[in-house]
Amino acid sequence: MEKQLLSLMPNNLVDRLKELNISYDKPLVFATADMDTDCNYRNYVLLLSSDCLIVGKENTVLESLNFVSKKEDFNFNNFSFKRYEIADISGPAVDNLVVGGIFRINENNTETVLCAFTNKFKGRIMKLIDILKMLIDNKEIGDDKLYEEVREEFCPKCGTIYPDRNRKICPKCMDKRKIFFRLGSFFSIYKKELIIICVLCILGALLSSIWPVLNGSLLYDGVLAKNNNVFPFSLLNIKDFSLLLLILALTMAGAKLIQQIFGIIQGRLVAKIVPNVINTLKKRIFGAIGELSVSFFTDKQTGGLMTRITQDATRVSDIFIDGIPFIIPNLFTIIFSCYFMFSTNWILALTAIITLPPAVIISMKLSPVLWHYNSKMFQTSRNFRAKLNDNITGARVVRAFGRESSEAGRLDKSSGFIASSQLNAMRFDLKFTILYQLTNSLSSLFTWTIGALFVLAVFKPQLSYGTLITFTGYVSLLAGPADFFSYIFRWWSGSMNSAQRIFEILDAKPDVIESPHPTILGEVKGEIKIENMTFGYEENRDILKDINLEVKAGKMLGIVGKSGAGKTTLVNLISRLYDPTSGNIYLDGVNLRDLKFSEIRKNVALVSQETYIFKGSIFDNIAYSNPKANKSDVIKAAISAGAHDFICKLPDGYDTLVGSGGRSMSGGERQRISIARAILANPKILILDEATAAVDTETEKNIQASLSVLIKNRTTISIAHRLSTLRDADELIVIEDGKITEHGTHDELVRLKGAYYKLLQIQSKALAMRGIGD
Amino acid sequence: MTEDILKIEEEKLEELLAVKFLTVDNAEFYETKGGFVALKTKDEDFGHVNVIRTFPFSNPDEFISIRKIDGKNEEIGIIENLKDFDEKTVKLIEKQLEIRYFMPRILKINSIKEEFGHTYWSVLTDKGECKFSSSSGSSGSVIHLGDRVIIKDSSENRYEIEDINKLSAKEMKKLELYL
Repeated sequence: MEKQLLSLMPNNLVDRLKELNISYDKPLVFATADMDTDCNYRNYVLLLSSDCLIVGKENTVLESLNFVSKKEDFNFNNFSFKRYEIADISGPAVDNLVVGGIFRINENNTETVLCAFTNKFKGRIMKLIDILKMLIDNKEIGDDKLYEEVREEFCPKCGTIYPDRNRKICPKCMDKRKIFFRLGSFFSIYKKELIIICVLCILGALLSSIWPVLNGSLLYDGVLAKNNNVFPFSLLNIKDFSLLLLILALTMAGAKLIQQIFGIIQGRLVAKIVPNVINTLKKRIFGAIGELSVSFFTDKQTGGLMTRITQDATRVSDIFIDGIPFIIPNLFTIIFSCYFMFSTNWILALTAIITLPPAVIISMKLSPVLWHYNSKMFQTSRNFRAKLNDNITGARVVRAFGRESSEAGRLDKSSGFIASSQLNAMRFDLKFTILYQLTNSLSSLFTWTIGALFVLAVFKPQLSYGTLITFTGYVSLLAGPADFFSYIFRWWSGSMNSAQRIFEILDAKPDVIESPHPTILGEVKGEIKIENMTFGYEENRDILKDINLEVKAGKMLGIVGKSGAGKTTLVNLISRLYDPTSGNIYLDGVNLRDLKFSEIRKNVALVSQETYIFKGSIFDNIAYSNPKANKSDVIKAAISAGAHDFICKLPDGYDTLVGSGGRSMSGGERQRISIARAILANPKILILDEATAAVDTETEKNIQASLSVLIKNRTTISIAHRLSTLRDADELIVIEDGKITEHGTHDELVRLKGAYYKLLQIQSKALAMRGIGD
Repeated sequence: MTEDILKIEEEKLEELLAVKFLTVDNAEFYETKGGFVALKTKDEDFGHVNVIRTFPFSNPDEFISIRKIDGKNEEIGIIENLKDFDEKTVKLIEKQLEIRYFMPRILKINSIKEEFGHTYWSVLTDKGECKFSSSSGSSGSVIHLGDRVIIKDSSENRYEIEDINKLSAKEMKKLELYL
């Protein structure tokens, strides 16, 4: 019973209504609302039963509203209830607000406001009104009407609302560690190489750890002090100190040499892994972008997307190559150094490391702030790029209206933002670095001063000069890892920031999802049926309302209507670029939602008013819809589309490079290319959305002629302003304000003398005035 | 016959293209039983009407479009400046506008947290405490109007910061990144 419209009804409501002796018949829908008409947040509960509507209003205004977590239970003792007999109710309606709406009814013909609500509650209340209307009209309410998919809006773990309802990911319950491991998976194929890198790092750390002993106690206390009792000289039993010096020098040189060799091997491995991982990441991001719904691209600016692909992938892989492998050796160095220092002289050791904790704290505290500054810097440069993109793409419009200087100003402002955000970030970085290095310098100052007092035997036990050198060697050795661990946090935060953005794309679920077990039609006939369909791009604004339509296979449907009436939206829905909010679209009797994407794309081709020419040759552009097409197919399609002649006039013919950087084309040329593209696709359903709007009348006639060949044996849906284009349509519909207002053949609509007739009159007069006639 | 229709159409067109201003002289506003704005002109009593700001951000009290509530939401006329009407009318229309453009004013920012492309806000508004989330990826979630800032959450609810200069340094620091 999960999906029932009563599923959210609290049990204590039933008890409370019983206590209050409020009777009701079979309960049907339960809904809540959150606002009153005095603009206060207030809880309302609405229970619709087969005989009445009960509205409960909380007596006190809400003091806090949480759109983020699951709602608390209601205390119905603090509610006053009112019961409205269905028989007394008429005209239930919602007055749309910018956010949400006001629910009103007429009770015994007196306008009565029941409650107001924000968007969050809109869906359920609209459903309640639907059922209420059916009750008022005495219509039978089928069980299917009382079920509705309950949208899981909250994370089951922490009760947080999903910030994106279509993306069932709770950001709170996801952590950075998870991102990190997820990123790790990109490197997993390089396991062997990564292990070698780690081993080399450890060996390198080992070598650098013995360095202070070599150039400290062995050199000063052994060779220079002519004392061969120092370990490991005592094992060698060599009396000649020049020879010992030589051996020591060679060992030191050897150690350095081996370290360098390790470094080279490591560098080579890194060079092998990094470009590949970045490439994989970019491919994955690009793949994900390709799968996303059209709506994603209208939300995000294109320039921003490009930055993501190029920069984030690089940032992310950096930490895995230059960061992570160094964690173990750095840790190792710290342990080894500390061991030596504490075993030699614990007082001096404490002096040396006393500044370490403040350094780490500084780093930990300040790095998140730095992270924010960095992310802001990133954001501003993304905005700048998007603006620049705008400016360059729209260069002609900018010139045409003489807005160069104001555009430059706009860019200036944006680049000013970049500068100031960079300045902020750098300023903070500097503050951070200075503070951090100061603590390090203090540490070495302390060590030298107190160490000297030990050497001079002011403090006991006395320390040899060589041991102090070794000791300070370790102190400076410690600085490296401490520094590393402080910036690895910064680095980590930067990379995770980038990774976060990458995963935002990888995880963004398309609104339009292919069914897990899609139906494959095989032979498509091209019959389209639309049932009770409603759709809006935004939650609150329905563009199409209750559309019912049927187009028989092979027939042509013409759609007429003013701009903004919803014509393009309708064809976008038939191409399944979006899914209807409610109702269904069927292709050959199969719900579009159940069809395989490739099946739809293969059989539905769209020639729209927006033509897009990709960078490439004209041939590539036409063959885009059918990469298997050969040259003669493409030429045939171009002839049908009336594009062949102008292509032949070009010096490079079909090989002419077009698109950004290539030859520019006129609107009509672009349109003909895109028509050729559609013709070549050979779809069962052809959608012409103002396909001939950008061409002159003569060309239009040519295209019309070729289209009339093209539409044979195809279901065609044609949107046109010029009604003459729709002469051949088997059926016509007029869409006004998202509703189908007229429906019939040309003759029928003329006889109807409605909107179509008027449009026809106006157009023929306009044409007559221009001396064209029709 | 065709001529007639065309003539009518032309007249209609002209009529359509003209801006009809509603003034104290030609319009009378009154309140319906349910508390909505209703309009009566010389020729017609429209009853309950829709009240829409044409410049909700920049000129909230000017150029208010009055539309029919049913059907095509046809415009009846425009109020050029609300202040030209008597106090009672102003109050009535303002009340309607207030709920239509319901937008709690943020008085204090408790916290702003960003996680995974979503920003979690906890604020104190004139309507009480509000916790909401907005998507930081899409550019539309924070609207700048000079010193005034409007934040849209994931359910399209709007919240307003009247003047960012009045925020405390601490609050500003939290907000800064999202501006």
